Amino acid sequence: MKYNELTLRYFQTAPASGVLSGADVYRGAAGNRAHGTWVQFDLQVSGGIIHAARFLAFACPHTIAASAWVAEHAGGPLSRTALPGGVQDLSERFAVPPEKRGRLLIIDDAWAAAAGSALQR
Amino acid sequence: MAQCLTAEGEFGNPASASHAYGDAAGALVETARAQVAACVGAAPAEVIWTSGATEANNLAIFGVAQYYCEQGRHIVTARTEHKAVLDPCRELERRGWRVTRLAPDSAGVIHPGQVADALQADTVLVSIMHVNNEIGVIQDISAIAAACAQHGLARLHVDAAQSVGKVGVDFAQLGADLMSLSAHKVYGPKGVGALLVSRRGGREQRAPVQLTALQFGGGQERGLRAGTVATHQVVGMGLAFELARTAPPSEAERIAVLRERLWSGLASLGGTFRNGDARRSVPHVLNASFEGVEGESLLAAVRGRIAVSTGSACTSALQEPSYVLRALGRNDTLSESSLRFGLGRNTSDSDIDTAVETVIQAVSRLRKISGA
Repeated sequence: MKYNELTLRYFQTAPASGVLSGADVYRGAAGNRAHGTWVQFDLQVSGGIIHAARFLAFACPHTIAASAWVAEHAGGPLSRTALPGGVQDLSERFAVPPEKRGRLLIIDDAWAAAAGSALQR
Repeated sequence: MAQCLTAEGEFGNPASASHAYGDAAGALVETARAQVAACVGAAPAEVIWTSGATEANNLAIFGVAQYYCEQGRHIVTARTEHKAVLDPCRELERRGWRVTRLAPDSAGVIHPGQVADALQADTVLVSIMHVNNEIGVIQDISAIAAACAQHGLARLHVDAAQSVGKVGVDFAQLGADLMSLSAHKVYGPKGVGALLVSRRGGREQRAPVQLTALQFGGGQERGLRAGTVATHQVVGMGLAFELARTAPPSEAERIAVLRERLWSGLASLGGTFRNGDARRSVPHVLNASFEGVEGESLLAAVRGRIAVSTGSACTSALQEPSYVLRALGRNDTLSESSLRFGLGRNTSDSDIDTAVETVIQAVSRLRKISGA
């Protein structure tokens, strides 16, 4: 399997991996470890602003790298449940092969679950 | 080998008996044939050169199936065989043969009794590998051969590509009718191998096995494999087998110690599972699964520092769990998150330490990322 430079960098460093805790942290997850891909996001949100984000992933290098990038770039107003950058942008940014693009939808679902939880509060 | 590729060397066609150049090349080929035969307890006349073990497997399986098709169209093999056996069997199934694929026990062993029970009145071929390429488990070929001999009609083919140089191979003593060999698994050149075709008739004094040739031309190799023999390749294979035959037994002991050192280091991680029965496997292979990590990420995390294979058959962008490990009863996740370590002549203590350190770092990091 070939990976582009960005995928390798984010896979190897995995910035923003881990979990957050506190009353203002909202969590969402999607996927299934037994099926090979599982992603979780924790968002620290107050005043409608995402102050921090962390992720966990049991997944391939593309999915880990894309999840790390999303968590790293998650800061800012929480005005929507859409994934930062969007699935298409992630696919191109990390050169995800067509056969694996469905895994980006799991990142999208995990993000939507976390952001949706914060928006419902 | 290089000597056979220059005008100053033995450049002749080994099949050309009309001039001295051909005679010289032919002599090298026969020396190599004798070297290979001596290494595996066969007679030189039983060695048929091929392009490798895959071709040897195809010649054995299709050759027997076609020759004996009037007597039967049933084949017995195992789920853990190499694709070079499974795919020809599947092709024969498509053409109307029946194939029984035996399941190993959880340690990877095919029991001779399973083979005996699977034999039917019209079974013409049993194909069971000697040493499994993924987990290194050694099958009891001698007992399986006895079961085939008792049956009478069934011929035994053994893929021994992984055996030579790792475990003692004696074609006559094992009692197989056919045996596939590969040069590059014994540090020889790629692109050459051999099929041993017994001229003994087995233990029950049956008529020697017969094959229908798959390719036709100049009648080389007893008419079983037409085409000019690649002199330089077989010379390399002959020397590789000669070196394997004369290697001291202490080398296998050294590698066995290294393998246990490797396993001990990996096991210290916890959540690590050894695949295959360690008590009856060659010392050169260690296959382990790691709980809590995804297979492709594990391979990507270690590949910069060590050269290992994953338990997945990475034939496309999406990896498939190893069918061998699944046959042992491992679930998909553990089948995917496995690594196969190959140890050999050049493996040192420091290589083992590097492998242990690299895998521990990678698995620990990936487990942390996955929250395991």
